Amino acid sequence: MDLGTKWKEIKVAWEPRIKEWKFMIKRMRESPLAILGLAIIIGFVIIACMAPILAPPTGPDPFILKVDTEFSVLTPQPTPPTVKHIFGTTGEQYDIYYACIWGTINAFRVGLLVVVIALIIGLILGVVAAYYGGIIDEILMRFTDIIIALPGLVLSMALVIAFPTIIPLDVTTIILVISAILSITFAAFKPERKFLLPTQIVLFASLLLYIYNPIVIGLNLSRLDKVLISLAIVGWPGYARLIRGEVLRVKNEDYIEAAKAAGSSDFRIIMKHILPNTIYPLLIVVTLDIGSIVLTAAALGFLGIGAEPNFADWGNIISRSRDWISSPDLLVKHYHTFLIPGIFITLFVLGWNLLGDALRDVLDPMIRRR
Amino acid sequence: MTSLPAYIARRLILLIFVLFGVTVLIFAITALVPVDVRAMLYVRNVQHTNPQQLMRIAEQYGLTRPLYEQYFTWIGQVLQGNLGFSKSAQQPVIQAILERWPYTFEIVLFAAPLIIFIGIYLGVQAAIHKDGIIDHATRVLSIIGWSLPSFWLGLILLSVFYGYLRWLPPGPLDPDLMNFRNTSPSFKRYTYIDLFDGLLNGRPDITLSVIKHLILPVIVIVTINVALLIRVMRSSMLEALGKPYTFAAKAKGLDDKTVIYRHARRNALIPVITLSGMLVAGMLGGLVITETVFAFGGLGQWAARAALNFDIPAVLGYAMLSAFIFVIANLIVDILYAYIDPRIRLV
Repeated sequence: MDLGTKWKEIKVAWEPRIKEWKFMIKRMRESPLAILGLAIIIGFVIIACMAPILAPPTGPDPFILKVDTEFSVLTPQPTPPTVKHIFGTTGEQYDIYYACIWGTINAFRVGLLVVVIALIIGLILGVVAAYYGGIIDEILMRFTDIIIALPGLVLSMALVIAFPTIIPLDVTTIILVISAILSITFAAFKPERKFLLPTQIVLFASLLLYIYNPIVIGLNLSRLDKVLISLAIVGWPGYARLIRGEVLRVKNEDYIEAAKAAGSSDFRIIMKHILPNTIYPLLIVVTLDIGSIVLTAAALGFLGIGAEPNFADWGNIISRSRDWISSPDLLVKHYHTFLIPGIFITLFVLGWNLLGDALRDVLDPMIRRR
Repeated sequence: MTSLPAYIARRLILLIFVLFGVTVLIFAITALVPVDVRAMLYVRNVQHTNPQQLMRIAEQYGLTRPLYEQYFTWIGQVLQGNLGFSKSAQQPVIQAILERWPYTFEIVLFAAPLIIFIGIYLGVQAAIHKDGIIDHATRVLSIIGWSLPSFWLGLILLSVFYGYLRWLPPGPLDPDLMNFRNTSPSFKRYTYIDLFDGLLNGRPDITLSVIKHLILPVIVIVTINVALLIRVMRSSMLEALGKPYTFAAKAKGLDDKTVIYRHARRNALIPVITLSGMLVAGMLGGLVITETVFAFGGLGQWAARAALNFDIPAVLGYAMLSAFIFVIANLIVDILYAYIDPRIRLV
């Protein structure tokens, strides 16, 4: 096949998608709120990218805040904004400006990582529940019921304090279980047999290892890792339910029947036909979730159980303000320690929420094209 | 169609399963904690214990036995009302809960109806005036309310109304009145809810003081939680306004008011009822932060302080309590729902 026909093929395949994107962008541009949301997020992306220039790192790990020794000796109290510290310092003499700038990267990291982890778990379990149905579906959905019964913040609080600092990770067992699942899956999906042999070799090798020499490594969890894991555990049931519902919706459509009749494997049907059709509702929820995840992480930081106290995190900076609650004078005097990081949190979350809200109008097939 | 009692029976059986699952989940979280840390919970003086002693204690309390055995021992204790000892409160968890729930109840008592009324009112107004000023304003305001960190909103309100204006102090009650309530022999605590006890004892100043202290926390809780209700009410109302029965009502010659309030709104309220179960969960989470900011002394503040001090039994006790409240609230909502709308029982 020469390049010309190949190019034509690609063009034909992509034309409807490009048209769809063009339509989306056109709708987005008509909504001032969407533009505002996008502008806020782009602003934060710029801050995150420029962080090393805006606030030059003070140590090998830029996220670790450094104490300004010049002040800490003289004043144990927060210092109000000055030329040197334009947003002032906290009670421990951490520069708030520095913490806010590097906290932006941290917020992106927390929001995106948690969403990706929760989405992967939710995607796998949601598709499995919907596509296979029956008892698997029932068990998985009742399990999500249980997690959803606990308020997200309370469950993540409990998980954060319960996680041990060093988790003994049994590598052999994990490889064994994963390769066993993969071998069964590949054995079930007929055309994917070519992967069967390698997975079975891995399965056999890990079985031997499991019997003769299990490898256990101690996984060291920082406090931030605990927050990330807890938020992902809290977040996945929502995705699993959403994806399950979407898969059930498209499962009985004619084009799935057609794909089955054409001899496609389950794996191919899920990847090529079902998932692309569930992507739009997911995109809306994910966008809205990034905001709420960052909010919950900040709330954990405020309660004093988030990342390490010297870590550049917006919630952490506000956390010290709990000490001023009982004193009206200190509340007014040290307003900068909570006002400025709070503006960062609010704007960040607002940006994602505005974008998600606009996406819902643009992408929801029920209400668009009117 | 299933009858209502059969439906309730089925829901009750499901409830038992979910509650069982919740206890398993809570126990699984306990099991995450390393054995020596769990053994420390039984020790009064942690500094003077060496690892060998801790292991002995762990064995003595059965922490080294298989997990399912530990679960049954634990669930037996829970069913007898023993949720463990809260180190941060220096009292058993169950007693800490009994002592603190009235404060939390006071906030919920004011916040919940406000959320529901404001949410329904603004949602209906936004739907009637779709794409009008009210619609856009509620939309923007609810997105902002949704994005505000509750601790930040609380701190700002507190610094303005307490720090700057000195009007609305934190805490559940003025300190001198609190002192009077605790020490005066003539003050009888009938309900343990200061709001009512003040009136029952002929001391309206106590009730007024409680209300004064409630204003800011209630504002925060309402602002954070009302957004969701407004949005759901709006879309549900828009859907109802597009339904054939609304056109039929209009075609009959009914005036707009009757059509909107008696025909459309009634039907639009149904999904909102379901949402109120979720609202409970949102409030119980939000109370942890709000009570901490306003030093309100209720269950939420206790849970927050417990988390900070690694008081695991207390946090898990609060988690279990909120899950129970959530599950039972959902059960009540579902039964109400089936009662109001017989179509639901078909499923």
